[in-house]
Amino acid sequence: MVDLSQIDKNQRALIKNISAQHGLKKRLQSLGLNVGQEVQVVETSLQKNTIKIALGFSSVALRLDEAKAVEVELAS
Amino acid sequence: MNKITIALVGQPNVGKSHLANAISGSNLKIGNFAGVTVEKATAKLRTEDYAIELIDLPGLYSLEDFSADEKVTKEFLVKGDYDLIVNVLDSTNLERNLMLTTELLELNKKIVLALNMDDEALKEGIAINAEAMSKILSVPCIRVSSKTKFNVETLVDTIITVHEKALAPSKLIYGSEVEDQLQTITRFLEDKHFHIEGLSYRQIAVGLLWQKREIYAIVHDHPLYVELQPILNNALGHVYMYCQCDEIDEVIHRQHAAFAKGLCTEVLSVSKIKAQSITQKIDAVLIHKFLGLPIFIFLMWALFQLTFTLGEIPMGWIEDGFGWLGETIGETIDNEALKSLIVDGIIAGVGSVLMFLPNIIILFLGIALLETTGYMSRAAFLLDGFFHKFGLHGKSFVPLVTGFGCSVPAYMAARTLKNKKDRLLTMFIIGFMSCGARLPVYVLFAGAFFEEDVAGNVLFAIYIFGAILGLIAAKILRVTAFKGEDEPFVMEMPKYRLPSLKLLWFMVYSKSVLYLKKAGTFILLASMLIWFISSYPKNDLIEEAYGAKIEALQATQETAATEQEASVASKEDSAQAQEATPNDGKVASAETDKEAPATEQEEAKEGTSVEDQIAALENEKHEKIMEQTYLGMAGKAVEPFFAPLGFDWKMGVATLSGLAAKEVIVSTLGVLYALGDEVNEEDASLRDIIKENISFASAMAFIVFVMVYLPCLAATAVFYKEAESIKHTVLLVLFTFATAWILAFITYRVLLLVS
Repeated sequence: MVDLSQIDKNQRALIKNISAQHGLKKRLQSLGLNVGQEVQVVETSLQKNTIKIALGFSSVALRLDEAKAVEVELAS
Repeated sequence: MNKITIALVGQPNVGKSHLANAISGSNLKIGNFAGVTVEKATAKLRTEDYAIELIDLPGLYSLEDFSADEKVTKEFLVKGDYDLIVNVLDSTNLERNLMLTTELLELNKKIVLALNMDDEALKEGIAINAEAMSKILSVPCIRVSSKTKFNVETLVDTIITVHEKALAPSKLIYGSEVEDQLQTITRFLEDKHFHIEGLSYRQIAVGLLWQKREIYAIVHDHPLYVELQPILNNALGHVYMYCQCDEIDEVIHRQHAAFAKGLCTEVLSVSKIKAQSITQKIDAVLIHKFLGLPIFIFLMWALFQLTFTLGEIPMGWIEDGFGWLGETIGETIDNEALKSLIVDGIIAGVGSVLMFLPNIIILFLGIALLETTGYMSRAAFLLDGFFHKFGLHGKSFVPLVTGFGCSVPAYMAARTLKNKKDRLLTMFIIGFMSCGARLPVYVLFAGAFFEEDVAGNVLFAIYIFGAILGLIAAKILRVTAFKGEDEPFVMEMPKYRLPSLKLLWFMVYSKSVLYLKKAGTFILLASMLIWFISSYPKNDLIEEAYGAKIEALQATQETAATEQEASVASKEDSAQAQEATPNDGKVASAETDKEAPATEQEEAKEGTSVEDQIAALENEKHEKIMEQTYLGMAGKAVEPFFAPLGFDWKMGVATLSGLAAKEVIVSTLGVLYALGDEVNEEDASLRDIIKENISFASAMAFIVFVMVYLPCLAATAVFYKEAESIKHTVLLVLFTFATAWILAFITYRVLLLVS
């Protein structure tokens, strides 16, 4: 199973599932991380603690811990 | 005249405030209602028949996402007193913005959708068919642009029409399976004629199926519930099966997402795909792995450098202006007490605070720029890794930077943190971010003790030092008082936008006006109070005693003068006098106390130093008089507490008065030294006086103390409101005082050893 923390910079991926506790899930969803959404990691911080992802018309920053909750599938 | 109250709701960064500004012209006023749960920015606007009031609610992504900020907005939307909702959407990110809209539509209130940033959307090749959208939703949707003012008037007209018409239910359509179940429930309610006031059958059915507490509270008490329950169970079972999911929140979310997506495919057409290219390019530099942090630090440094150097110029003019004002007015008043009140109390006190208005304006402008361009969230991104090590959260950055402006809004900004412990921790640290009101103290002392070309750097260093202390304190608190799980870091990175000059002007202007108001009311009163308690009770005995001494000295001076005339040729005499002069000041003042007659005899020999003697006596007289006043007594009482830090009683009193508001520290020093130093009229500038009267070590200890100790009482009251805990408020008071005292003590002692 691949999650968002494992994909390379600039690689496109599709969100398969979000497995997080309720509050975090809600927040991820309301920021546009829905199942089926295409995402792309566009920037990482120095120690790769934090990543910036682009999705649809917006971008979201999240910590690697949170990215692990987002299961993805590499897009061709 | 009829009044319409409008609740402006939208996701963050959709330009709500900008739109409010565009609608109301220049009439927007930010009311900083401390203590009111909603921080309302209200704008008033008059059309022919209506007075319109806009309430700018904090931005939120979803009604169900329970951060403190969102709770405030939701509570207002459900229970607040308003006529209709204007939902502001970002046209360039319609689908996600519609997620909130779907939730708002379920609230069953009059609503108008403002599709904002139309100009930007058109540039990006995004076209929205607003008419089709209005039809589908059966809610008016207006394309507007707060930047170009496109359609702003139409929006206002629409608001008025919607207000005049009766509430028309919106058409939010769910998946067919859900609709089927809703129909079953609706039919049952219809058959039984079950009414809830203000809600249609369908709305009750939706409320029941979505398991809304408010609806259940009503239905549950009704006998009908017995019959209703099996129908509901059945319906829910069907919905769960259909969605392959047995969490109602998840079901609702999917229904809303599907609706938003469907609506977008109907009304949205994208002609060219170049979304975000500019923002991505800027981000490639600004949040670059290696460049990001240095750029951030440079920007912060530049801000404080500008605050000092640019602010310095008008500061001089204002200071001169008040000096001139004091003299001119002073000359026209005969009554000594009144003259002293106006010149030494009001003008010296208020003037010393107003002097720093230019610095404040620059600092607030900097913070407003950070907020409006979108750089603030980049900074949070850059700092999260670092902050996380200290137990803070990247998002803490926003309230912390706001704290450089003022702690009161900063405590409120901490609401964006969901986790209570993270929020409290951040609030504890906000005090370490020196607020704008402390800036005058720093500018005064940095200017007095450092050369002009390094003063800006000193200022920056003070702020950085405060921030570092804050981080250390955070770590200590995190492992002691606020143990617990971290809040996840998930944050939108909004597009970079050039801020509108009008909005910037408005933000800076409204804050400057608040500062001026404070100076005109609160600080004016405080200055008068400080003047009074530092002038009364008058002690005639001291005045007489010193008067007599001085007269006696003057008499000896006259005789000495005649003697000197006789021995003018004598070179030895003058040489002797020269040798003695450097020590005279100290020796004389020490001696006058104990053996006045002896000094007189001594002084008779050295005629040249008699004038110094008189000056010393004058100074001493003022000291003695001051010590006898109410303020002096209070100062003496707290002196032992502050003495280990190298503070004289005046500084101690200034520190205490700073509890009322930090600006008062400077005005108190201004009043105290203006009264005390009438002898040295030529030293009109407070800065020079401070330099003369306070040692370097004490001054640095003073800065450290001011940097750390409790924010003003108003901020503490807001802290209490936000934290909802007496225990934590008491802890805050003790913690900040203890830290301030210890750090100031260390600073003072170390500097004494070094120098």
